[in-house]
Amino acid sequence: MDIYHHLTSDFIAILITLKLAIVTCFFLALIGTPLAYFLAFKSKKTKPFIEAIVTLPLVLPPTVIGFYLIIFFSPEAVLGKIFIILTGEQLIFSFYGLVLASIIYSLPFWVQPLQASFEKIGRDTIRTSYSLGAGPLDTFFNVIIPLCKRGFFTSLIISFAHTLGEFGIVLMVGGGIHGKTKVIAISIYDHVEQLSFGKAHILAGGMLILSFIILLTLFYFNKRTVVRVK
Amino acid sequence: MSNLSVLLNGKIGNLFLNFEHNFKNDGITILYGPNGSGKTTIFSALGGFINNLETRILFNGNELHDIDKYPPNKRPFGIMFQNPILFEHLSVEENLDFVLKRNQLNTQNKSLISKEYLINQLELNSLLKRSAENLSGGEKLRVVLARTILKHPNYLLLDEPMSDLDIKYKAKLLVFLKDFNKKFKIPILYITHSIEEISQIGDQIVLIKDGKKIDSGSVSNILNRSSFVDLTGKFESSSILEGIVSRHDKNLHITTLDLNGQKLIVPGLPGKLNDIVRVRIRSRDILLSSSRIKTQITENELQGLISSIEIEKNSAFSELVIVLKNFNNNRKKQKLRARITTYNLKNKKLLIHDNVFIYVSSVSIDRQAYQSK
Repeated sequence: MDIYHHLTSDFIAILITLKLAIVTCFFLALIGTPLAYFLAFKSKKTKPFIEAIVTLPLVLPPTVIGFYLIIFFSPEAVLGKIFIILTGEQLIFSFYGLVLASIIYSLPFWVQPLQASFEKIGRDTIRTSYSLGAGPLDTFFNVIIPLCKRGFFTSLIISFAHTLGEFGIVLMVGGGIHGKTKVIAISIYDHVEQLSFGKAHILAGGMLILSFIILLTLFYFNKRTVVRVK
Repeated sequence: MSNLSVLLNGKIGNLFLNFEHNFKNDGITILYGPNGSGKTTIFSALGGFINNLETRILFNGNELHDIDKYPPNKRPFGIMFQNPILFEHLSVEENLDFVLKRNQLNTQNKSLISKEYLINQLELNSLLKRSAENLSGGEKLRVVLARTILKHPNYLLLDEPMSDLDIKYKAKLLVFLKDFNKKFKIPILYITHSIEEISQIGDQIVLIKDGKKIDSGSVSNILNRSSFVDLTGKFESSSILEGIVSRHDKNLHITTLDLNGQKLIVPGLPGKLNDIVRVRIRSRDILLSSSRIKTQITENELQGLISSIEIEKNSAFSELVIVLKNFNNNRKKQKLRARITTYNLKNKKLLIHDNVFIYVSSVSIDRQAYQSK
């Protein structure tokens, strides 16, 4: 009975983790894509400043980000208050708090590959498209997106894998509430704390294999593209 | 007929641009100048890609500099950039269709330029199904040219389109451009560094240096002017002569041109009888004599009058401008630039307004530079 209970609890953690990664990637596509485009083509003076901010999550300890997010998400803070007015729920310790934290934490993983991909196709491609009569949106959907398929793919895969593996921020902002904000990484931590190494093995091994497969897919397809280009 | 009037003023990078010109609305206009003189910037401004310059562009009564009304995708130009770009996610044919799909309104009254015509002329048939990413430089260029033309532009802007081509194909494409320009009456603005290309297809030429217009006029006039020679350097100095084809000798493979009553033999069989053919003669290939040389040393002997002499300082050379004699009694004057050593000049006691005999070997007449009108 106990084992069954733990299996379902782990299963729920897996579902929450996947849901978190999918929702995060969805919002990253909406937010990170224009940001990458802006950094690649539009910004001039502001570029280093914005790039530094976007890259911060890569170098900061997760606890630092977590700490500030707790402060911003708390019901006393503006952001937390707005969320309560809109949804009637607290942002901190909620699933959407996790999503918001994951977006911030994974932002560089979405922006950087895509920005590099945009920069590679370059301004001349866009100018060519405009001069042939395609407007900005037409150009974006029919020229840039197809040409940057590889960049989008890389951003998606890396951001997805990275969100799956979050621990520190997720623990601080989400609190590891079972069935709500407890993701795989936290489940593993709990299992190890309780010395249930068997259960930890299943989840940790699963994560290891999944992450490896994701990265293998990425490098396999990217390698093939490189070969085809040459 | 309205012109394309362009005014650009301001600083871009390290370049102070102060350019103003009314481009003719027919023929081929060459934009010539050293690297970094602002030629490509003028194209970018016409395309609507520059917003930090004072710009005034008037075309067919429209104020194109109004970027809200005429954003880059709504301008009537076909622009081929210096590094031509094909959309590599599309096939060659899809690249051509890309522009057709987006310019249907423009094509209604000018459906004369068909896709098939361009595929034929530019020999694209075998490329159509191929992916755009595996083309050679020359193939790519032809596809991009076809795609640019398929927009049915009111003005075609080409930025050094031939720089990537081998000589044989270049000659073909130049003939195509000239014919295209005449057939469809679409004016062309053409950036190039090649004097061969200028003499073959140029009608008008605008010289630009350090962001400013230095000179402009017809190609045959400008190429003999010192403003042009200053830009090219003396070594490349040359003249363009126009003659009427009076005889083709198919056995010896030579053509006799009539230059206002004087004969000039050129290699090859350019043009048809009575066509006007242009030839380029380098100044350094000309021999001068104050009296007729009895045992003629070259195929060609022309007569002229020295109209100016410039002795270069700190150099062995002098440059002379010679007005060719006109035996047909029309008022057409043709000028020839000659470059000889100052030693030679002094030895032969050549002076301004002297009559001279000009000797030039047919071998040194540029085979690439023919163009019939």
